[in-house]
Amino acid sequence: MLSLHSYLILSAILFSIGAIGVLIRRNAIVIFMCVELMLNSVNLTFIAFSKYLGNMDGQIFVFFVMTVAAAEAAVGLALMIAFYKNRESIDVEDLNLMKW
Amino acid sequence: METIFFTIVAAVTVLSGIMVVTCRNPINSALSLILTFFCIATLYVTLDAPFMAAVQVLVYAGAIMVLIVFVIMLLNIRSEVGRRYTHAGIIGTVVGFLMLVLTFNFLNNSSLTGAKGLITTDVINKIGHTELIARSMFTDFLLPFEITSILLLVAIIGAVILSKKKI
Amino acid sequence: MLGAYLPIIFLVVIAAVFGFASLCFSSLIGQKKPSEVKLAPYECGCEPVGSARERFSVKFYIIAMLFILFDIEAVFLYPWAIIYKKLGMFGVMEMAVFIVILFVGYIYVWKKGALEWE
Repeated sequence: MLSLHSYLILSAILFSIGAIGVLIRRNAIVIFMCVELMLNSVNLTFIAFSKYLGNMDGQIFVFFVMTVAAAEAAVGLALMIAFYKNRESIDVEDLNLMKW
Repeated sequence: METIFFTIVAAVTVLSGIMVVTCRNPINSALSLILTFFCIATLYVTLDAPFMAAVQVLVYAGAIMVLIVFVIMLLNIRSEVGRRYTHAGIIGTVVGFLMLVLTFNFLNNSSLTGAKGLITTDVINKIGHTELIARSMFTDFLLPFEITSILLLVAIIGAVILSKKKI
Repeated sequence: MLGAYLPIIFLVVIAAVFGFASLCFSSLIGQKKPSEVKLAPYECGCEPVGSARERFSVKFYIIAMLFILFDIEAVFLYPWAIIYKKLGMFGVMEMAVFIVILFVGYIYVWKKGALEWE
């Protein structure tokens, strides 16, 4: 039987990949995809803990995280389309109207 | 056997995750992200959560990624050109690695304590995973479940307002 | 436990091998006599018009977005369908509240004309 540690390490690696992607990429859609990757790595942690602690609550939480991710995808991508209509670009460096 | 399977799936997951970050063309990133989601669904199956695996494929790989690919095609985004590794890129990578090291340190110096629940593999096989989820969802988690519908309502209204020309 | 998923693994392997093999074999043993017409992209037999990379309408996006949100609703119905006989009237009521709230959203979308193809 696999230990809990192997799942947690995999999920930590995936989370870091997602975080690096959010920090270094400039395309807003790729940043969005990296955020989804981070959400998924956290979901993996929830389900691994849920199995090794013998408790169902973590999996219910994953369900709600997926719902939030879907709502986020619908609204976030609509925002990106609205931004593209204004600026003809989805580079986050063009999102500088409120930059100090 | 199980360890080998886990190692292969984990390697594919990490490689496709790296592809998401490094590909220049957003469509390639999106396709590698779909592969990552499928691998994570496979891991859910090994963690005795078949219903969550089905939902993962249905919602993430089936619905959210369709929307992302749609938007990439809608905006007709081409590959990134020009400078790739900026100062922000180097600092971001360093910060990410530091975070990983911190998490590893945290994991190595910790152990699993706390009470074990009642749900073991035998219970899951006997009652069924979907039914166990349903039991806690519609009794203990009733209020969050109802609030979810309000979240979805808000998302519907917000997305229609943002994307429709004439409201 | 995992043995139950063996058919799915077989299916994935067969699909991958079939796709890869048909690409390989057609490039290995097929005849190659390219001409202008043969290399053109196939477009229902008509002459291809314009670039394939063209922006398309935002109407598609609205439909896909509505699909996601109501897909989530369907996902919540699966576990409910398994247990609703045990929950009885209570289960029917809680799902009714959930669906009525989402139905408000559906009516909103309908009245705003987001479902119409203009």
